[in-house]
Amino acid sequence: MNKRQLALIKKDIRSITSNKQAFMVILIVPLALTIVLPSILVIVTALVPDSASDFQALLDMLPITAQEGDQVQIILGLVLNKIMPVFFLLIPIMASSVMAASSFVGEKEKNTLETLLYSPLSLKQLFQAKILAGFSVGMIVSFISFVAMMIVLQIEMLILTGAVILPDISWLIIMLLIAPSISLVSIGITVRGSAKSQTMEEAQQRAVFLVFPIIGLVVGQFTGIILVNSWLLLGIGMVLALIAALIIKNIVGKFTYEKLLK
Amino acid sequence: MIAVLIENLSKIYTGGNKAVNDISLAVNQGEVFGFLGPNGAGKTTTIKLLCGMLTPSNGSCRVFDLDPAQNPEKLHQLSGVMTEHAQMYDHLTGLDNLIFFGTLFGMNMSECKKRANALLNRLNLTYAGQRRLSTYSTGMRQRLSLARAMLHSPKILFLDEPTSGLDPESAQNVNTLIQELAASGTTIFLCTHQLRYAQEICTTYGLISEGSLLATGNIEKLRSMVSSKLTVRLKASLIPNGMVYEKTGEDTYNITVSSEDEIPLIIKGIVGAGGDVYHVSADQIPLEEIYFSLIDMNNGKMERENL
Repeated sequence: MNKRQLALIKKDIRSITSNKQAFMVILIVPLALTIVLPSILVIVTALVPDSASDFQALLDMLPITAQEGDQVQIILGLVLNKIMPVFFLLIPIMASSVMAASSFVGEKEKNTLETLLYSPLSLKQLFQAKILAGFSVGMIVSFISFVAMMIVLQIEMLILTGAVILPDISWLIIMLLIAPSISLVSIGITVRGSAKSQTMEEAQQRAVFLVFPIIGLVVGQFTGIILVNSWLLLGIGMVLALIAALIIKNIVGKFTYEKLLK
Repeated sequence: MIAVLIENLSKIYTGGNKAVNDISLAVNQGEVFGFLGPNGAGKTTTIKLLCGMLTPSNGSCRVFDLDPAQNPEKLHQLSGVMTEHAQMYDHLTGLDNLIFFGTLFGMNMSECKKRANALLNRLNLTYAGQRRLSTYSTGMRQRLSLARAMLHSPKILFLDEPTSGLDPESAQNVNTLIQELAASGTTIFLCTHQLRYAQEICTTYGLISEGSLLATGNIEKLRSMVSSKLTVRLKASLIPNGMVYEKTGEDTYNITVSSEDEIPLIIKGIVGAGGDVYHVSADQIPLEEIYFSLIDMNNGKMERENL
């Protein structure tokens, strides 16, 4: 990483914060997924009377080993450590793809890409800088969201149930392996499609299909088919890391100045 | 030293559009080379080929002995490019834009600021340096783009319609700047369809139409390809018998001569016949006329070839 690439990364990050529309998407989605949605789940779980809920039926359906203790605590533990990690993955996907779309197709749309291409940065250096800018934003947003979510949820749980439930090892795998990998895959897909896309929205949509496996995981959990555990997450993380490495490695050679300016 | 060398260069886009058709030319260092032709003639495509943005379909080009397709980064370090589609960032101020691009060219911050401020001042943009680009008018953006292209003191400047959108005063300022740069050894490759403007500042020319190069050389060479005749404008009380002229108004006449040597003979003839001469001026064929004559000649040649 040289000074020129660093200047480009800083500029790209500054660009996204000054683009109100894109920045709002980056802010609102994490807010909904890490504050609003978990808060609703926690409040409903804690306040609905046991007799009026189907929680026991849900617990019976889930492939978990029988657990001793308060039903509400078990449910909250499931929400925090089984359900939220899957939803959380939408954040790095969204933040990275919005950033990648902005820094590639956004530049093309605003006729600034050509100016960058006339600089003495090689295409490889240019791609590295732009991928790193997208990755940085994806990770910064993810970590801030995680911290914010934990603070809010722990306070809510403490107030509503009198106890806190700590995140388990799943979150470690999510934050250190899956989120970075899925962020890079999402950037890779967005960038690969950027040569064919004429608008930022079109480029972003190419990363949308990454959402489907996540929906599959959510549905799978609620129907009792699968349960997200640490081993499953580790496996998913490793596969994603491999896919990310392959996509990012191949992406640079795919482009020429001519293809980028089409 | 040859700054730009183009040999049998062609570019055919996907779909078969032949934008540049077998052109060859050379530009020496320090020249202001005017690459002239109408919109769609192939000027911008040629610039893109020379900057490595496009790969030639045939032939080759070199800029300061570098192959743009093989060494684009090295070439970009020593060239500055200003085209319609090379814009800057609306959310940054004029000064911040220049500093950002200066950093990309490896300049340090203090060097960037110093050079950027000097260029803003030279292009009468100091007052707008701290304003966001989104508030700039077309002419201001154009001048800032020129500043950006010149920021790293390139050896060659590729300018595509540098004065389009500028008011006459700014255009004059830009012309002076271009001439100063050329005088200091910077090569200017200037594309324009404004032939009168080109004649003011260019030292050599390449005339292009529909992708084909019609002619290259300085104005005298181009003129000789079309006609060596001069038009003498006269205001005189009479024209002696036997002199061939065209009356353009009351006591005003145009007389076509082969060389300037014939002008004193015409004056002597009028005075000798008892007439008075109030005005004499000689117009050489302007670039515009040369260009259209060359196009006509080229069309005629093509028609003959098609027969």
